[in-house]
Amino acid sequence: MSHFLDRLTFFRKTREPFADGHGARTDEDRGWEDAYRLRWQHDKIVRSTHGVNCTGSCSWKIYVKNGLVTWETQQTDYPRTRDDLPNHEPRGCQRGASYSWYLYSANRVKYPMVRGRLMQLWREARATKDPVEAWASIASDPAKAAEYKTRRGLGGFVRADWAEVNELIAAANAWTIKQYGPDRVSGFSPIPAMSMVSYAAGSRYLSLIGGNCLSFYDWYCDLPPASPMIWGEQTDVPESADWYNSSFIMMWGSNVPQTRTPDAHFMTEVRYKGTKTVVVTPDYSEASKFADIWLHPKQGTDAALAMAMGHVILREFHLDAKSEYFDKYVRETTDFPVLVVLDARADGSYVNGRFLRAADLEGGAGQANNPEWKTLAFDEKTGNLIVPNGSIGFRWGEKDSLVGKWNLEPRESLTGADAQFRLSVNEIRDAVVPVAFPYFGATKHPHFAHTNHDEIQIRNVPAKKVRLADGSEALVATVYDLTLAQYGLDRGLGGGNVAASFDDDVPYTPAWQEKITGVPRAQVIAVARQFAENADRTHGRSMIIIGAAMNHWYHMDMNYRGVINLLMMCGCIGQSGGGWAHYVGQEKLRPQTGWTALAFALDWNRPPRHMNGTSFFYIHSSQWRHEKLAMSEILSPLADPKDWQGTQIDYNVRSARMGWLPTAPHFNVNTLKFAKEAVAAGKAPVEHLVAGLKSGKVDFAFADPDNPVNFPRNLFVWRSNLLGSSGKGHEYFLKYLLGTTHGVQGKDLGEEGGEKPLEVQWREGATGKLDLLVTLDFRMSTTCMYSDIVLPTATWYEKNDLNTSDMHPFIHPLSAAVDPAWESRTDWDIFKGIAEKFSEVCRGHLGVEQDIVALPTQHDTPNELAMPEVRDWKKGECELIPGKTGPSLVVVERDYPNTFKKFTSVGPLLDKLGNGGKGISWNTVHEVEALATLNYTVLEDGVSKGRPRIDSDIDAAEVILMLAPETNGHVAVKSWAALSKITGRDHTHLALPKEHEKIRYRDIQAQPRKIISSPTWSGLEDENVSYNAGYTNVHELIPWRTVTGRQQFYQDHPWMLGFGEAMCAYRPPVDMKAAEPLLGKRQNGQPEIVLNFITPHQKWGIHSTYTDNLLMLTLSRGGPIIWISEVDAKKAGIEDNDWIEAFNLNGAIAARAVVSQRVPEGMSMMYHAQEKIVNTPGSEVTGTRGGIHNSVTRTVLKPTHMIGSYAQQSYGFNYYGTVGANRDEFIVVRKMAKIDWMDEEVDSDAQAAGH
Amino acid sequence: MLTLKIVSALLCYPQPDLMDALPELAALVREDDELPVVERGRLVDFIDELADSDLWTLQEHYVARFDRGRKLSLHLFEHIHGESRDRGQAMVDLLDVYRGAGFELKARELPDYLPLFLEFLATRPHEEARRLLDDASHVIALLGARLAERHDPYAVLFDALLALIELPADLGEIRAQAASEGPDRTITDMDKIWEEEQVTFLASQAPDGGCGVAAAGTAQPLAFVPPRQMRAPAPSQPSR
Repeated sequence: MSHFLDRLTFFRKTREPFADGHGARTDEDRGWEDAYRLRWQHDKIVRSTHGVNCTGSCSWKIYVKNGLVTWETQQTDYPRTRDDLPNHEPRGCQRGASYSWYLYSANRVKYPMVRGRLMQLWREARATKDPVEAWASIASDPAKAAEYKTRRGLGGFVRADWAEVNELIAAANAWTIKQYGPDRVSGFSPIPAMSMVSYAAGSRYLSLIGGNCLSFYDWYCDLPPASPMIWGEQTDVPESADWYNSSFIMMWGSNVPQTRTPDAHFMTEVRYKGTKTVVVTPDYSEASKFADIWLHPKQGTDAALAMAMGHVILREFHLDAKSEYFDKYVRETTDFPVLVVLDARADGSYVNGRFLRAADLEGGAGQANNPEWKTLAFDEKTGNLIVPNGSIGFRWGEKDSLVGKWNLEPRESLTGADAQFRLSVNEIRDAVVPVAFPYFGATKHPHFAHTNHDEIQIRNVPAKKVRLADGSEALVATVYDLTLAQYGLDRGLGGGNVAASFDDDVPYTPAWQEKITGVPRAQVIAVARQFAENADRTHGRSMIIIGAAMNHWYHMDMNYRGVINLLMMCGCIGQSGGGWAHYVGQEKLRPQTGWTALAFALDWNRPPRHMNGTSFFYIHSSQWRHEKLAMSEILSPLADPKDWQGTQIDYNVRSARMGWLPTAPHFNVNTLKFAKEAVAAGKAPVEHLVAGLKSGKVDFAFADPDNPVNFPRNLFVWRSNLLGSSGKGHEYFLKYLLGTTHGVQGKDLGEEGGEKPLEVQWREGATGKLDLLVTLDFRMSTTCMYSDIVLPTATWYEKNDLNTSDMHPFIHPLSAAVDPAWESRTDWDIFKGIAEKFSEVCRGHLGVEQDIVALPTQHDTPNELAMPEVRDWKKGECELIPGKTGPSLVVVERDYPNTFKKFTSVGPLLDKLGNGGKGISWNTVHEVEALATLNYTVLEDGVSKGRPRIDSDIDAAEVILMLAPETNGHVAVKSWAALSKITGRDHTHLALPKEHEKIRYRDIQAQPRKIISSPTWSGLEDENVSYNAGYTNVHELIPWRTVTGRQQFYQDHPWMLGFGEAMCAYRPPVDMKAAEPLLGKRQNGQPEIVLNFITPHQKWGIHSTYTDNLLMLTLSRGGPIIWISEVDAKKAGIEDNDWIEAFNLNGAIAARAVVSQRVPEGMSMMYHAQEKIVNTPGSEVTGTRGGIHNSVTRTVLKPTHMIGSYAQQSYGFNYYGTVGANRDEFIVVRKMAKIDWMDEEVDSDAQAAGH
Repeated sequence: MLTLKIVSALLCYPQPDLMDALPELAALVREDDELPVVERGRLVDFIDELADSDLWTLQEHYVARFDRGRKLSLHLFEHIHGESRDRGQAMVDLLDVYRGAGFELKARELPDYLPLFLEFLATRPHEEARRLLDDASHVIALLGARLAERHDPYAVLFDALLALIELPADLGEIRAQAASEGPDRTITDMDKIWEEEQVTFLASQAPDGGCGVAAAGTAQPLAFVPPRQMRAPAPSQPSR
């Protein structure tokens, strides 16, 4: 019956009350209520999260009904952490909440897709040939290859089934390995922490076949090289809850409420305890609204501000009125007391050089082991020159009584006597000498202010004489002495270029910085004073939260070192509520050492091939062919230009051949063929290769990137939007790497006649270097559009995986709430499928092969002490000795037909070699046995028989959890015990209370679990302290992994000295020279202006991705936007929401203008990763579809990031290497005259418009 | 109704088996007296056109047309609920309809996939099929109108469906909407389309009830069309 007729219009039933009139019976139909009851009914709730790079790692409840996800809500059952702290929950922001849609979106990639032209070629070839030969017939025929390569980005996909597409990919890999070598196959996937099993799937496959895993953290330019330089630590930061322990927070270039939404509450809450907040951003950002004081320096000049603050703090808390706390802190935990040699210059002045080493003194100062890696200090108690504990020389190869001296106990190492390190040699000086310091603030730049101070600043420094081994005398000073001089402090030593007053116009006073940053000096003094005063009273509870905004500049090291210096001067690092909080694209992979074994197949082969992404992309997308930034522009005025010749790629080639940075491909030969030929000729492969390199018969691939034998050939991209988000120099990627329609406007050095490289063969620019680009994604991203093959992956609610963050201490699952929709599969299953097919199709082409891996010297291994001095074997300065003066060359056996069996089982190397990381290792036999009982063992015959199985994604997750100290208490105790041997101090007490704790995958599905403290990280997970980086260094006296073992204000590598960065300085942004050449050259009748181009993380997307989400587009402007200031808009006649074009030599973007008071004059902002697939019209400049934010950028390399074989400046995957800076770029901006949507009907074969 | 099964087959991703079956389908359509003569003729022409086409081209165009972007998505609820959380429940309800009729999903597809829905209807008694199809008429009309705007041959299939049912009363409006949307990539009137409707809390003052109206007496049937307006298309990707 209808509800309408059920209802009585004129009557009502006589009520029979009950319960003393409180109850009444009615007979109305209440069926309508079912709608609401059913509305909240579900079959199950599953815990998952969004595997996205926002560091949120938020727990969500996913509601499932009849096998379909119906809705999601925030989960609120995090374990309590510590007393007095607010709860973590609810975590999960509005942007995350808009995710459900991706699951069933029309934008979802539903089927494996292949570009139609390629599929046709493949089927034709496959009709008559075996898979590998079929691929050979396509890839080796330039006409056929061009047919599909030139169609990249132009649509034309057809669906395919898994069997066929796996066969094609496997055949391409097999042929490439056979023909060119395994190092021609590469994979790019970022941030394992956001879904570590999915990352491991691809990297395990690649590592088994010998492919390269490309690093991302450096490529994203989120890696702050300052961190490895100062601490020997990739990045380690406080968890967000520790903000609540702070009493003075600076948010410097970090937009906390916008980009750390689920964590921001700790910052807002602590203000109610009286914590002061200072925000430093050039624009009026969301974070600025939370500031007690908002400083807005001109963008890119933050280092000047930081130097001026350092000037104030050194003056008021170190030099004039000592803070007792600061004084003790810097003596014991920083390199301030460490001695530096002063080298004489021709004009009678001196220049600061290397740290004084034990090897410089007679008899190596009694140090038989690694005397060249042991630094010295003066002891105040005895007046002696001593070798203190803790420098890196004590870390490796120590014997007998000197074992266990790698610690920060303030002692003389030989006798173990207590020592008090002398901070300055001033009190015991033999002389006061003039020392020359480079000054970069005088560099002229068309858009940044300079000052008129001399580019060489001579300042007086106290010095002490030391007798050297050869009988000569050297002058030394402490780092503290040099730092005071560098900051321009007048110590009463006479001489010029130092300031007694903050109002003196001398670098680096508060008065000096006004011209550069525009910040009033009084504000600088006030903030610096308060910051230090708070740290002094609270013993370090001053904190600086810092973001990518500061790190994406070419001279990011100066921004970061400037800020970190403040924290070190004030004793904030390693203290609760204090320190350096850099939250950028890193997302702590907490169970790291458990994961590396799985991810890089260390259980079967070692070492894996790791490649630093920035150099790879810079070289292979031929951005070096368009280089306009000469290295002479950034060289120190104290360096002799004759000794420092060459371009960026030259430095990279030198670095690689000295074994500093990795290479991919390694050489202009196929390492498999080379090894085979060597063996056939009766030679050892490695010796044969060394001979080849010396004679020049074999050369590094990077020395000839346009030679087809050196192309990268095959590339996998997964969990990433390389071309839509991180690909700096987007248009160069399109032109050179992909060989398709592009928007590059500039000419290469060949046509223009610029400075050509010295070490690199110049040829005509090769295009279309990639034979096959395979992308795994669940949405049609810009990268997918350009790929040859798109594979549909499971979304975050369709797979089982692990997720951790640096923002909170919990380990967290992604769970398969429902099966993958349509034909999608989990990343684990996809790569497993490819591995299976590969093992099949490679038969007859590849068997058991010898491969040679060229491994750069690795940080945290004994090899990191390889090169105390820079010697280039190619220039005849030394012999080529693999692992010492060049990369290690390691023969690795690859059993290609058994790839699948190895992929799906735990290999025997873990039993044999153990597991470990960060310089320590431990036996892991018990864990492998436990995995055998947990995952069961392989029953089938073959190499994997009897080994623990890794069939499913959950099996893989269990491998990680079982092996990692963070999730297995027994391993944690073992790992602390291993470290204790080297430091001579017992650290096992840190994990013993949790020894029997073991976290399984099902546990974290029940509730996120707090991880166990491990020596992989420098903080503690404890009931008493929030996680804070450097905590174990300060409180457990574990040295930092640097030359001195201490936090380093000073960097003494010759390249650091050569480029003037021994100490922090202000360096203005570099001139990219890309905008002015086009100014007025492509006129459309509208006025043109030139603006700095900044690409912050956004408001209307999930962190740096997923801007195609309709909710986000709706809240924003529905398509690409660029923010500009009111002043600039007026100059160019632009009104809000106008279509504008931004362009320079690199390419062009079409977008709408957002005219806002938020933006300062001269600057523009385009939020990261706005997909060009959404509402992007054609560009008037390029004639193709307006590009993405990276269409106007290009990456530039810095030689100091290529340093290797030098303690903390040694290579590590995602730890050190070149970084993809892009913020120094300028663009021409103007209103568009004509909006062309490029959607007129065109013949399908002539859709040349492109994206 | 056999027509529904035929349209369902033709709306699927073109594969060799479909190509082989085209002559048979054409023959069946010619004899299908459920369709008006005009629609029959156009449908046969469409089938002939498919038969004359290169399968690669058909597949590429199909992917570009239906697999990419929202505007021509063949998932009915994309056009009704979009990314609203109501979509999950709507799919569950539809699944219940199939289950009630004794069917389970075999394909890895969502329940609101139009060819799937049509196949289901083809198994149902005439009246029931027609009624359910009527419910979806708005979406069908909209997709048909959008295809027609692009002079896309697939529009014929939607015309055939509309010929089987009562035309939506506002067909003219739907067509006008499709025409005024302009090219797929423009968002010139996006603000207007997405403008938030005024929220009222007093039912009597709101012409269409408004938010907060007492729900008593209104059951919630399975709905293909929300009470207010059909969701506007999302700004979509260019197909090239």
